[in-house]
Amino acid sequence: MFETSLCQILFYLLAALAVLCAVGVVAYRNPVNSAMCMAVCFAMVAAIFFGMGAQFLGIVQLIVYAGAILVLFLFVVMMLDIHDEGQSRGSYIHAAVGVLVAGFFAGLIIITALRLPGATDNACPVHSLCDSVGELLIGEARTASETPAAPAQYGGSLPKLNAAAAARMENPAISDADAAKVTSISDVKLLGKCLYTHYNIPFVILSFALLSGTVGAVALARKIRKD
Amino acid sequence: MDAIIDWYNSLMSNEIWFYLIHTLIKLVLMFAVILAFVVLSVWIERRVAGWIQDRPGPNRAGLPLFLLERFGSKEKQPLKNWLHFFGIPETSWIAKLCTWLRLDREIPIFGLIQPCLDGGKLFLKQETTPSYVRKFYFILAPMLVLGPPLVAAAVVPFASEVNTEFGHISMCVANLDIGPLWIFAISGLSVYGLTLAGWSSNSKFPFLGGLRATAQLISYEVAMGLSIIPLLMMFGTLNLQQIVQFQADNGWTLLPLWGEGLSLQRWIMMLPLGISFIIFVTCVFAEANRTPFDMAECETDLVAGYHAEYSSMKFASFFMGEYAAMVIGSAVVVTLFLGGWSIGFGADAALSAYCDWLAVLCQFCMFIVKLLAFIFFFVWVRWTLPRFRWDQVMKLGWLYFLEITVVNIFLTAAVLYFTK
Repeated sequence: MFETSLCQILFYLLAALAVLCAVGVVAYRNPVNSAMCMAVCFAMVAAIFFGMGAQFLGIVQLIVYAGAILVLFLFVVMMLDIHDEGQSRGSYIHAAVGVLVAGFFAGLIIITALRLPGATDNACPVHSLCDSVGELLIGEARTASETPAAPAQYGGSLPKLNAAAAARMENPAISDADAAKVTSISDVKLLGKCLYTHYNIPFVILSFALLSGTVGAVALARKIRKD
Repeated sequence: MDAIIDWYNSLMSNEIWFYLIHTLIKLVLMFAVILAFVVLSVWIERRVAGWIQDRPGPNRAGLPLFLLERFGSKEKQPLKNWLHFFGIPETSWIAKLCTWLRLDREIPIFGLIQPCLDGGKLFLKQETTPSYVRKFYFILAPMLVLGPPLVAAAVVPFASEVNTEFGHISMCVANLDIGPLWIFAISGLSVYGLTLAGWSSNSKFPFLGGLRATAQLISYEVAMGLSIIPLLMMFGTLNLQQIVQFQADNGWTLLPLWGEGLSLQRWIMMLPLGISFIIFVTCVFAEANRTPFDMAECETDLVAGYHAEYSSMKFASFFMGEYAAMVIGSAVVVTLFLGGWSIGFGADAALSAYCDWLAVLCQFCMFIVKLLAFIFFFVWVRWTLPRFRWDQVMKLGWLYFLEITVVNIFLTAAVLYFTK
């Protein structure tokens, strides 16, 4: 009960901060402030991932976006005038296009969320997804007793950090090997198996898209020698 | 008394309180160790610098005896009083030894008081904030430099595990399944501090220093992440506690002399692992902004670098951050390559079979010793190698390290596949 309430308090706190910073990205006139708000927003999202027990996702979010926002910061500092941008008057057409694009992405997210396994029966989508992927791919899905009890709305509980100890505490007869097995089903493995088997083709396609982007950037940045 | 024991038992039997209490104790211990090491490594730096440059270094500052009225002031010659008290003649070898150790003036502790005096001086200095800086980021930047290394240390295991009657304690603050990644991510955040310091100073040279810090971080983080992949392929886990346990059982990464470390595969693996080690250590130097990679504070071209406009304790927190990053970097290298807390040669298993707590204590001491040795190595490099030129740093990161690490991953895969 204590864990559930603590997790929920943390979740709402972090989510509120993330939303606040997301608003700040748009609302601040100073582009450096916007970039820093974006950094904080991503950090909060990473923290929410941590709360769900998706540690790998959270940390990758931090690693990737920390560098990315630094580059963004450099763009802002080097290319834009750092003084506050003047009040720009948007037309109704701009607003309409903006609403359309935002609505499109929001709809996409909602549809994806609703199609996740466990989204309709009020279970945590991430946990249900992990369980179903685990059943599919690992073959030895976590049984109910091994899984740390997930709160109804979103997963993870504090002592999951020490899952082996938790398992041992629930059942003192459990051997060290079994306790290690509980920890060894980490989200790194789940994610890896999921990406490289079930979603292999989209993954490869995305990698190629990013690679072509990199090659294009190098080609554009390279000075063409005339000799 | 019984009531207290009962209360203690019932408190510790509660899973959540047990978790909170032992985590808090480990947290405080870890913070104390790191902050002590920050101070200590300043002293080590100066003493080793003196030693390398053939001068004494700060060895004079001790506990001055005149502070203690009871022992008399310098003029009253407390040493003579002591000698008279014990009836030792002033010309004996004991008296000469005491004079040589400067015991007639103070209690010498090898100049260990020096960092405290430096800290006091920095606290008392006048704090000036130039009028043209961007205040918010100017104040935020030193915090961002000092904070992340302390947080990153949470996943470093400093001893093995203990089974108590109330539960199982793993001797690292957060036993995460993503250990090295956590350290890379969090300690990478400290470059925000450098960049923001450079930018918010609103002055030319600090800004250049901040830009250099950013470019250097982005360049070397890639090679750093890729260079440990061969290790992870061998360990098969990202959990630092399990990685060190593996090394305790099967030989340290760079010293496979017991357990399964004696297999042919492990000895062939020394080639890719050695390459990993060299590249990883170099990247740690670059990430910690230490000479020969301290381009962000290269005083010959940048006056002072990103902290040119800072004074007093704000200035000091940049240096504390640098030393904290150095301590954490050393801890990571020790954990991944040199066996972490493991004593080695099968002594860990034997000790923990004898007594868990004794094993933990010995392992903690072993970890500290290894950490000190690696910090000494850090300082040694700083006072031996000259600083690189800026384009050399970039070339090394992008043209050599990136390629070598990628090839190294394939090499490791081949070794693991063919020597199974």
